[in-house]
Amino acid sequence: MAQIEQSDNGKKKKGAQKKMSIHVDFTPMVDMNMLLITFFMLCTTMIKSQTLQISLPSNEKVEQEQQNKAKESQAVTLILDTERDADGNVKFDPETGKPAHLIYYYFGKPEIADEDHDGRIDNSNLQVEKFVGNVNGETQGIRKILHDKNKTVLEKIAVLKADWKDKKISDDEYQARAKQIRNDSLITDRPVVIIKAGPNASWESLIGALDEMQINQISRYQIDNINDVDSLMIFDYLAKHPRN
Amino acid sequence: MGKVKIKKKSTLIDMTAMSDVTVLLLTFFMLTSTFLQKEPVTVMTPSSVSEIKVPFTNCTTVLISPEGKVFLSVSGDADSTFSSEKVRAELIQTAVAEYNKTHSKQVQLTQEQVSKFSKLNMFGVRIADLPAFLDLPQAKQDEVIANLSDPAVGIPVDDNKDLTKPNEFQIWMRAIYNSSNPNLEAAIKKGEGIAIKADKDTPYNTVHDVLDNLQTLKMNKFSLLTALKTEND
Repeated sequence: MAQIEQSDNGKKKKGAQKKMSIHVDFTPMVDMNMLLITFFMLCTTMIKSQTLQISLPSNEKVEQEQQNKAKESQAVTLILDTERDADGNVKFDPETGKPAHLIYYYFGKPEIADEDHDGRIDNSNLQVEKFVGNVNGETQGIRKILHDKNKTVLEKIAVLKADWKDKKISDDEYQARAKQIRNDSLITDRPVVIIKAGPNASWESLIGALDEMQINQISRYQIDNINDVDSLMIFDYLAKHPRN
Repeated sequence: MGKVKIKKKSTLIDMTAMSDVTVLLLTFFMLTSTFLQKEPVTVMTPSSVSEIKVPFTNCTTVLISPEGKVFLSVSGDADSTFSSEKVRAELIQTAVAEYNKTHSKQVQLTQEQVSKFSKLNMFGVRIADLPAFLDLPQAKQDEVIANLSDPAVGIPVDDNKDLTKPNEFQIWMRAIYNSSNPNLEAAIKKGEGIAIKADKDTPYNTVHDVLDNLQTLKMNKFSLLTALKTEND
Protein backbone atom coordinates (compact mmCIF):
# COMPACT_ATOMS: atom_id res chain seq x y z
CA MET A 1 0.00 0.00 0.00
CA ALA A 2 2.55 2.48 1.01
CA GLN A 3 5.11 1.24 -1.37
CA ILE A 4 5.22 2.02 -5.00
CA GLU A 5 6.39 -0.87 -7.06
CA GLN A 6 7.49 -0.37 -10.53
CA SER A 7 6.28 -3.12 -12.72
CA ASP A 8 8.23 -4.00 -15.76
CA ASN A 9 5.70 -6.12 -17.57
CA GLY A 10 8.10 -8.97 -17.67
CA LYS A 11 10.34 -7.36 -20.24
CA LYS A 12 13.82 -6.43 -19.36
CA LYS A 13 15.35 -3.54 -21.13
CA LYS A 14 18.94 -2.88 -21.07
CA GLY A 15 19.93 0.03 -18.93
CA ALA A 16 16.60 0.01 -17.18
CA GLN A 17 16.58 1.66 -13.79
CA LYS A 18 17.12 -0.48 -10.80
CA LYS A 19 13.87 -1.69 -9.29
CA MET A 20 13.21 0.20 -6.14
CA SER A 21 10.50 -0.25 -3.64
CA ILE A 22 9.64 3.09 -2.06
CA HIS A 23 8.36 2.37 1.38
CA VAL A 24 7.11 5.24 3.49
CA ASP A 25 6.80 4.63 7.17
CA PHE A 26 3.54 6.11 8.37
CA THR A 27 4.01 5.44 12.07
CA PRO A 28 5.06 9.00 13.06
CA MET A 29 2.16 10.38 11.04
CA VAL A 30 -0.26 8.15 12.93
CA ASP A 31 1.30 9.21 16.21
CA MET A 32 0.82 12.83 15.38
CA ASN A 33 -2.77 12.30 14.24
CA MET A 34 -3.59 10.48 17.43
CA LEU A 35 -2.27 13.37 19.47
CA LEU A 36 -4.36 15.82 17.50
CA ILE A 37 -7.46 13.66 17.89
CA THR A 38 -6.91 13.46 21.62
CA PHE A 39 -6.62 17.23 21.75
CA PHE A 40 -9.82 17.80 19.84
CA MET A 41 -11.69 15.17 21.77
CA LEU A 42 -10.81 16.76 25.07
CA CYS A 43 -11.58 20.27 23.95
CA THR A 44 -14.98 19.75 22.40
CA THR A 45 -18.45 19.91 23.78
CA MET A 46 -20.44 17.37 21.90
CA ILE A 47 -23.64 17.83 23.83
CA LYS A 48 -25.35 21.12 23.45
CA SER A 49 -27.25 22.17 26.54
CA GLN A 50 -30.98 21.88 26.51
CA THR A 51 -33.22 24.74 27.51
CA LEU A 52 -36.55 24.99 29.21
CA GLN A 53 -38.47 28.03 28.17
CA ILE A 54 -40.58 29.76 30.76
CA SER A 55 -42.29 33.07 31.10
CA LEU A 56 -42.85 34.70 34.43
CA PRO A 57 -45.86 36.84 35.18
CA SER A 58 -45.08 40.52 35.04
CA ASN A 59 -44.42 42.29 38.29
CA GLU A 60 -47.50 44.44 38.06
CA LYS A 61 -49.81 43.85 40.98
CA VAL A 62 -53.15 44.10 39.18
CA GLU A 63 -52.44 41.18 36.94
CA GLN A 64 -51.32 39.03 39.81
CA GLU A 65 -54.57 39.51 41.68
CA GLN A 66 -56.51 38.48 38.63
CA GLN A 67 -54.41 35.39 38.28
CA ASN A 68 -54.96 34.44 41.88
CA LYS A 69 -58.67 34.55 41.28
CA ALA A 70 -58.28 31.99 38.51
CA LYS A 71 -60.49 29.04 39.26
CA GLU A 72 -59.68 28.00 42.75
CA SER A 73 -61.28 24.61 42.32
CA GLN A 74 -58.63 23.60 39.81
CA ALA A 75 -55.68 25.25 41.52
CA VAL A 76 -52.78 23.12 42.70
CA THR A 77 -50.12 24.85 44.72
CA LEU A 78 -46.71 23.25 44.93
CA ILE A 79 -44.24 24.48 47.51
CA LEU A 80 -40.73 23.23 46.92
CA ASP A 81 -38.19 22.61 49.60
CA THR A 82 -34.86 20.84 49.78
CA GLU A 83 -33.39 19.30 52.88
CA ARG A 84 -29.96 20.63 53.65
CA ASP A 85 -27.43 19.93 56.36
CA ALA A 86 -25.87 22.57 58.59
CA ASP A 87 -23.34 23.57 55.90
CA GLY A 88 -26.04 24.08 53.30
CA ASN A 89 -25.16 20.96 51.33
CA VAL A 90 -28.08 19.09 49.84
CA LYS A 91 -28.99 15.94 51.76
CA PHE A 92 -29.71 12.72 49.97
CA ASP A 93 -32.78 10.61 50.40
CA PRO A 94 -31.67 7.33 52.04
CA GLU A 95 -34.37 5.34 50.19
CA THR A 96 -33.90 6.50 46.63
CA GLY A 97 -30.39 7.93 46.75
CA LYS A 98 -31.64 11.03 44.98
CA PRO A 99 -31.32 14.56 46.39
CA ALA A 100 -33.89 15.07 49.15
CA HIS A 101 -36.39 17.39 47.51
CA LEU A 102 -39.77 17.71 49.17
CA ILE A 103 -42.87 19.01 47.51
CA TYR A 104 -45.61 20.28 49.76
CA TYR A 105 -48.84 20.66 47.88
CA TYR A 106 -52.47 21.52 48.39
CA PHE A 107 -55.52 21.76 46.17
CA GLY A 108 -57.68 24.82 46.01
CA LYS A 109 -57.52 27.31 48.83
CA PRO A 110 -55.17 26.90 51.77
CA GLU A 111 -56.90 25.77 54.98
CA ILE A 112 -55.59 27.67 57.96
CA ALA A 113 -58.62 27.78 60.24
CA ASP A 114 -57.89 27.10 63.92
CA GLU A 115 -61.34 26.84 65.53
CA ASP A 116 -60.27 25.18 68.77
CA HIS A 117 -57.38 27.62 69.35
CA ASP A 118 -54.76 25.00 70.05
CA GLY A 119 -52.21 26.72 67.84
CA ARG A 120 -52.54 24.04 65.19
CA ILE A 121 -54.47 24.19 61.95
CA ASP A 122 -57.51 21.91 62.29
CA ASN A 123 -57.85 20.45 58.83
CA SER A 124 -54.70 21.34 57.01
CA ASN A 125 -54.95 20.29 53.38
CA LEU A 126 -51.19 20.38 52.99
CA GLN A 127 -49.60 17.12 51.92
CA VAL A 128 -46.09 16.15 50.99
CA GLU A 129 -44.64 14.19 48.06
CA LYS A 130 -41.32 13.57 46.37
CA PHE A 131 -39.99 13.50 42.85
CA VAL A 132 -39.98 9.82 42.04
CA GLY A 133 -40.50 9.72 38.31
CA ASN A 134 -41.83 6.56 36.74
CA VAL A 135 -41.44 3.18 38.36
CA ASN A 136 -42.09 0.25 36.00
CA GLY A 137 -43.86 2.60 33.62
CA GLU A 138 -46.27 3.79 36.30
CA THR A 139 -46.28 7.40 37.42
CA GLN A 140 -45.28 7.84 41.04
CA GLY A 141 -44.99 10.54 43.64
CA ILE A 142 -45.84 14.08 42.64
CA ARG A 143 -46.10 13.02 39.02
CA LYS A 144 -49.02 10.74 39.87
CA ILE A 145 -50.81 13.58 41.66
CA LEU A 146 -50.43 15.92 38.70
CA HIS A 147 -51.17 13.15 36.23
CA ASP A 148 -54.49 12.42 37.94
CA LYS A 149 -55.35 16.10 37.96
CA ASN A 150 -54.82 16.47 34.23
CA LYS A 151 -56.32 13.15 33.16
CA THR A 152 -58.63 14.35 30.39
CA VAL A 153 -55.87 16.16 28.54
CA LEU A 154 -53.40 13.32 28.97
CA GLU A 155 -55.88 10.75 27.68
CA LYS A 156 -56.55 12.80 24.57
CA ILE A 157 -52.85 13.31 23.98
CA ALA A 158 -52.20 9.59 24.46
CA VAL A 159 -54.57 8.84 21.57
CA LEU A 160 -52.80 11.40 19.46
CA LYS A 161 -49.41 10.02 20.42
CA ALA A 162 -50.44 6.54 19.29
CA ASP A 163 -51.37 7.94 15.87
CA TRP A 164 -48.07 9.76 15.72
CA LYS A 165 -46.12 6.64 16.60
CA ASP A 166 -47.94 4.72 13.86
CA LYS A 167 -46.87 7.49 11.49
CA LYS A 168 -50.48 8.41 10.73
CA ILE A 169 -49.81 12.06 11.45
CA SER A 170 -46.67 14.10 10.92
CA ASP A 171 -44.40 15.53 13.61
CA ASP A 172 -45.62 19.08 13.11
CA GLU A 173 -49.23 18.05 13.13
CA TYR A 174 -48.71 16.14 16.34
CA GLN A 175 -47.10 19.13 18.03
CA ALA A 176 -49.79 21.51 16.82
CA ARG A 177 -52.66 19.27 17.89
CA ALA A 178 -51.09 18.45 21.25
CA LYS A 179 -50.76 22.16 21.88
CA GLN A 180 -54.37 22.67 20.94
CA ILE A 181 -55.48 20.00 23.40
CA ARG A 182 -53.30 21.42 26.18
CA ASN A 183 -54.90 24.81 25.76
CA ASP A 184 -58.42 23.62 25.03
CA SER A 185 -60.72 25.75 27.17
CA LEU A 186 -63.57 23.27 26.71
CA ILE A 187 -61.76 20.80 28.94
CA THR A 188 -62.85 22.13 32.25
CA ASP A 189 -60.72 20.08 34.59
CA ARG A 190 -57.35 21.36 33.43
CA PRO A 191 -55.39 22.29 36.54
CA VAL A 192 -53.72 25.61 37.24
CA VAL A 193 -50.45 24.95 38.99
CA ILE A 194 -48.75 27.53 41.13
CA ILE A 195 -45.13 26.70 41.84
CA LYS A 196 -43.56 28.33 44.85
CA ALA A 197 -40.00 27.73 45.90
CA GLY A 198 -38.86 28.08 49.47
CA PRO A 199 -35.56 29.84 50.21
CA ASN A 200 -33.72 26.53 50.61
CA ALA A 201 -35.23 24.85 47.60
CA SER A 202 -32.50 23.98 45.14
CA TRP A 203 -32.52 25.08 41.54
CA GLU A 204 -32.79 21.44 40.58
CA SER A 205 -36.11 21.07 42.36
CA LEU A 206 -37.56 24.08 40.56
CA ILE A 207 -36.45 22.73 37.20
CA GLY A 208 -37.84 19.37 38.28
CA ALA A 209 -41.21 20.94 39.01
CA LEU A 210 -41.25 22.77 35.67
CA ASP A 211 -40.31 19.50 34.05
CA GLU A 212 -43.31 17.77 35.60
CA MET A 213 -45.48 20.40 33.92
CA GLN A 214 -44.07 19.39 30.55
CA ILE A 215 -44.35 15.69 31.21
CA ASN A 216 -47.95 16.02 32.41
CA GLN A 217 -48.87 18.38 29.57
CA ILE A 218 -50.02 21.11 31.92
CA SER A 219 -50.29 24.38 30.06
CA ARG A 220 -51.29 26.68 32.89
CA TYR A 221 -48.65 27.15 35.54
CA GLN A 222 -46.81 30.02 37.10
CA ILE A 223 -43.94 30.61 39.44
CA ASP A 224 -44.84 32.68 42.43
CA ASN A 225 -43.19 33.89 45.59
CA ILE A 226 -43.82 32.09 48.83
CA ASN A 227 -46.08 33.99 51.22
CA ASP A 228 -46.90 33.95 54.95
CA VAL A 229 -49.80 31.52 54.59
CA ASP A 230 -47.55 29.00 52.88
CA SER A 231 -44.83 29.27 55.51
CA LEU A 232 -47.46 28.94 58.24
CA MET A 233 -48.81 25.77 56.69
CA ILE A 234 -45.36 24.21 56.34
CA PHE A 235 -44.52 25.17 59.90
CA ASP A 236 -47.73 23.55 61.06
CA TYR A 237 -47.07 20.46 58.99
CA LEU A 238 -43.59 20.06 60.44
CA ALA A 239 -44.93 20.50 63.97
CA LYS A 240 -47.42 17.68 63.38
CA HIS A 241 -45.00 15.41 61.53
CA PRO A 242 -41.65 15.90 63.20
CA ARG A 243 -38.70 14.74 61.10
CA ASN A 244 -36.25 12.46 62.76
CA MET B 1 19.71 -33.97 9.13
CA GLY B 2 17.96 -31.30 7.27
CA LYS B 3 17.99 -27.97 8.91
CA VAL B 4 14.62 -26.50 9.69
CA LYS B 5 14.50 -23.32 7.83
CA ILE B 6 12.86 -20.49 9.66
CA LYS B 7 11.47 -18.06 7.21
CA LYS B 8 12.43 -14.55 8.04
CA LYS B 9 9.39 -12.39 8.15
CA SER B 10 9.42 -8.67 8.13
CA THR B 11 7.81 -7.17 11.20
CA LEU B 12 6.94 -4.02 9.35
CA ILE B 13 3.25 -3.21 9.71
CA ASP B 14 1.68 -1.11 7.09
CA MET B 15 0.41 1.99 8.80
CA THR B 16 -1.29 3.55 5.82
CA ALA B 17 -4.72 2.24 6.62
CA MET B 18 -4.37 3.32 10.22
CA SER B 19 -3.31 6.73 9.08
CA ASP B 20 -6.36 6.98 6.84
CA VAL B 21 -8.65 6.22 9.72
CA THR B 22 -7.02 8.68 12.08
CA VAL B 23 -7.16 11.45 9.52
CA LEU B 24 -10.85 10.79 9.02
CA LEU B 25 -11.48 10.89 12.76
CA LEU B 26 -9.46 14.04 13.05
CA THR B 27 -11.47 15.72 10.32
CA PHE B 28 -14.68 14.70 12.05
CA PHE B 29 -13.64 16.16 15.38
CA MET B 30 -12.31 19.32 13.81
CA LEU B 31 -15.53 19.94 11.96
CA THR B 32 -17.97 19.11 14.72
CA SER B 33 -16.15 20.72 17.60
CA THR B 34 -17.25 23.85 19.28
CA PHE B 35 -14.70 24.74 21.85
CA LEU B 36 -15.58 24.65 25.51
CA GLN B 37 -16.25 28.16 26.65
CA LYS B 38 -14.13 29.24 29.52
CA GLU B 39 -16.28 29.90 32.53
CA PRO B 40 -15.19 31.23 35.90
CA VAL B 41 -17.10 28.56 37.78
CA THR B 42 -18.08 25.09 36.73
CA VAL B 43 -21.74 24.45 37.29
CA MET B 44 -23.72 21.25 36.96
CA THR B 45 -27.03 22.10 35.39
CA PRO B 46 -30.08 20.11 36.46
CA SER B 47 -31.69 17.88 33.88
CA SER B 48 -35.06 18.11 32.17
CA VAL B 49 -36.95 16.39 29.38
CA SER B 50 -37.07 19.53 27.27
CA GLU B 51 -35.37 19.07 23.92
CA ILE B 52 -35.08 22.66 22.77
CA LYS B 53 -31.45 23.47 22.01
CA VAL B 54 -29.61 26.60 23.04
CA PRO B 55 -29.09 29.01 20.18
CA PHE B 56 -25.46 29.86 19.37
CA THR B 57 -26.17 33.38 18.26
CA ASN B 58 -27.87 36.38 19.82
CA CYS B 59 -27.97 34.84 23.21
CA THR B 60 -27.12 36.22 26.62
CA THR B 61 -26.12 33.64 29.18
CA VAL B 62 -26.50 34.56 32.82
CA LEU B 63 -24.28 32.30 34.88
CA ILE B 64 -25.06 32.15 38.57
CA SER B 65 -22.46 30.56 40.80
CA PRO B 66 -23.61 28.73 43.95
CA GLU B 67 -22.32 31.69 45.99
CA GLY B 68 -24.66 34.01 44.12
CA LYS B 69 -22.06 35.67 41.90
CA VAL B 70 -23.44 36.62 38.51
CA PHE B 71 -21.53 36.52 35.24
CA LEU B 72 -22.74 37.50 31.79
CA SER B 73 -21.81 36.23 28.39
CA VAL B 74 -23.16 37.86 25.25
CA SER B 75 -22.97 36.48 21.76
CA GLY B 76 -23.92 38.41 18.67
CA ASP B 77 -25.04 37.45 15.20
CA ALA B 78 -23.32 34.96 12.94
CA ASP B 79 -23.30 37.80 10.45
CA SER B 80 -20.29 40.11 10.65
CA THR B 81 -22.37 43.30 10.84
CA PHE B 82 -23.33 42.41 14.39
CA SER B 83 -20.59 39.99 15.33
CA SER B 84 -20.09 39.14 18.99
CA GLU B 85 -17.11 41.46 19.16
CA LYS B 86 -18.94 44.44 17.76
CA VAL B 87 -21.95 43.82 19.99
CA ARG B 88 -19.74 43.61 23.08
CA ALA B 89 -17.77 46.74 22.19
CA GLU B 90 -21.00 48.68 21.83
CA LEU B 91 -22.42 47.09 24.95
CA ILE B 92 -19.63 48.19 27.26
CA GLN B 93 -19.81 51.74 25.98
CA THR B 94 -23.56 52.01 26.53
CA ALA B 95 -23.31 50.38 29.92
CA VAL B 96 -20.54 52.66 31.12
CA ALA B 97 -22.35 55.75 29.83
CA GLU B 98 -25.47 54.63 31.66
CA TYR B 99 -23.46 53.95 34.82
CA ASN B 100 -21.88 57.41 34.70
CA LYS B 101 -25.33 59.01 34.65
CA THR B 102 -26.21 57.71 38.09
CA HIS B 103 -22.82 57.55 39.80
CA SER B 104 -20.64 60.42 40.90
CA LYS B 105 -17.45 58.41 40.37
CA GLN B 106 -17.04 58.46 36.59
CA VAL B 107 -15.60 55.53 34.69
CA GLN B 108 -13.57 56.22 31.56
CA LEU B 109 -12.43 53.56 29.13
CA THR B 110 -9.69 53.73 26.55
CA GLN B 111 -10.09 52.34 23.06
CA GLU B 112 -7.72 49.53 23.96
CA GLN B 113 -9.78 48.54 26.98
CA VAL B 114 -12.92 48.40 24.87
CA SER B 115 -11.28 46.14 22.31
CA LYS B 116 -9.97 43.92 25.09
CA PHE B 117 -13.47 43.66 26.53
CA SER B 118 -14.92 42.71 23.17
CA LYS B 119 -12.73 39.60 23.18
CA LEU B 120 -13.85 38.46 26.61
CA ASN B 121 -16.32 35.64 26.43
CA MET B 122 -17.68 35.97 29.93
CA PHE B 123 -17.38 38.92 32.24
CA GLY B 124 -18.31 39.57 35.80
CA VAL B 125 -16.72 42.49 37.61
CA ARG B 126 -18.16 45.70 38.95
CA ILE B 127 -18.24 48.51 36.41
CA ALA B 128 -16.09 50.66 38.68
CA ASP B 129 -13.37 48.01 38.60
CA LEU B 130 -13.61 47.37 34.85
CA PRO B 131 -10.78 49.62 33.57
CA ALA B 132 -8.26 48.21 36.04
CA PHE B 133 -9.45 44.68 35.33
CA LEU B 134 -9.16 45.08 31.57
CA ASP B 135 -5.59 46.34 31.87
CA LEU B 136 -4.49 43.09 33.47
CA PRO B 137 -2.99 40.37 31.27
CA GLN B 138 -5.23 37.42 30.47
CA ALA B 139 -3.77 35.03 33.04
CA LYS B 140 -4.19 37.59 35.82
CA GLN B 141 -7.79 38.26 34.77
CA ASP B 142 -8.63 34.60 35.16
CA GLU B 143 -7.03 34.61 38.57
CA VAL B 144 -9.08 37.61 39.71
CA ILE B 145 -12.34 36.16 38.41
CA ALA B 146 -11.67 32.77 40.00
CA ASN B 147 -11.52 34.32 43.45
CA LEU B 148 -15.23 34.20 44.22
CA SER B 149 -14.93 35.58 47.73
CA ASP B 150 -13.69 38.90 46.35
CA PRO B 151 -16.52 41.47 46.51
CA ALA B 152 -15.32 42.99 43.23
CA VAL B 153 -16.11 39.78 41.37
CA GLY B 154 -19.61 39.22 40.05
CA ILE B 155 -22.09 41.69 38.67
CA PRO B 156 -23.98 43.28 41.57
CA VAL B 157 -27.59 42.11 41.63
CA ASP B 158 -29.65 43.56 44.42
CA ASP B 159 -33.32 43.97 44.88
CA ASN B 160 -34.17 47.13 43.03
CA LYS B 161 -37.51 48.05 41.55
CA ASP B 162 -36.65 51.64 40.74
CA LEU B 163 -35.53 51.70 37.13
CA THR B 164 -34.45 55.33 37.27
CA LYS B 165 -31.60 54.12 39.47
CA PRO B 166 -30.81 50.75 37.93
CA ASN B 167 -28.36 48.36 39.54
CA GLU B 168 -25.46 47.13 37.47
CA PHE B 169 -27.18 43.96 36.32
CA GLN B 170 -30.10 46.03 35.10
CA ILE B 171 -27.71 48.41 33.33
CA TRP B 172 -26.11 45.53 31.45
CA MET B 173 -29.37 43.86 30.55
CA ARG B 174 -30.88 47.09 29.31
CA ALA B 175 -27.77 47.84 27.28
CA ILE B 176 -28.09 44.41 25.66
CA TYR B 177 -31.78 44.96 24.97
CA ASN B 178 -31.23 48.39 23.48
CA SER B 179 -28.20 47.45 21.43
CA SER B 180 -28.20 48.42 17.76
CA ASN B 181 -28.41 44.74 16.85
CA PRO B 182 -32.16 44.26 16.39
CA ASN B 183 -31.86 40.48 16.57
CA LEU B 184 -30.86 40.58 20.23
CA GLU B 185 -34.04 42.39 21.15
CA ALA B 186 -36.13 40.06 19.01
CA ALA B 187 -34.54 37.02 20.63
CA ILE B 188 -35.21 38.36 24.12
CA LYS B 189 -38.85 39.02 23.21
CA LYS B 190 -39.18 35.48 21.89
CA GLY B 191 -37.71 34.06 25.06
CA GLU B 192 -34.58 32.66 23.43
CA GLY B 193 -32.35 35.60 24.11
CA ILE B 194 -31.71 35.07 27.79
CA ALA B 195 -30.48 31.76 29.15
CA ILE B 196 -30.04 31.23 32.84
CA LYS B 197 -27.43 28.76 33.96
CA ALA B 198 -27.21 27.80 37.58
CA ASP B 199 -25.89 24.87 39.55
CA LYS B 200 -28.46 22.28 40.56
CA ASP B 201 -27.75 22.70 44.27
CA THR B 202 -27.97 26.49 44.27
CA PRO B 203 -30.66 27.66 46.69
CA TYR B 204 -33.63 29.25 44.95
CA ASN B 205 -33.08 32.44 46.94
CA THR B 206 -29.90 33.13 45.02
CA VAL B 207 -31.45 32.61 41.62
CA HIS B 208 -34.54 34.49 42.67
CA ASP B 209 -32.63 37.79 42.77
CA VAL B 210 -31.78 37.44 39.11
CA LEU B 211 -35.30 36.35 38.13
CA ASP B 212 -36.74 39.24 40.07
CA ASN B 213 -34.48 41.74 38.36
CA LEU B 214 -35.45 40.37 34.97
CA GLN B 215 -39.10 40.71 35.90
CA THR B 216 -38.54 44.29 36.91
CA LEU B 217 -36.97 44.88 33.52
CA LYS B 218 -40.09 43.33 31.95
CA MET B 219 -38.01 40.57 30.38
CA ASN B 220 -40.48 37.94 31.43
CA LYS B 221 -39.59 35.26 28.95
CA PHE B 222 -36.35 33.40 29.14
CA SER B 223 -34.82 29.96 28.98
CA LEU B 224 -33.25 27.87 31.67
CA LEU B 225 -30.25 25.80 30.73
CA THR B 226 -30.62 22.12 31.51
CA ALA B 227 -29.10 18.80 30.60
CA LEU B 228 -31.15 16.08 28.97
CA LYS B 229 -32.80 13.23 30.78
CA THR B 230 -35.49 10.72 29.96
CA GLU B 231 -39.00 10.73 31.29
CA ASN B 232 -38.37 7.72 33.50
CA ASP B 233 -35.74 9.32 35.69
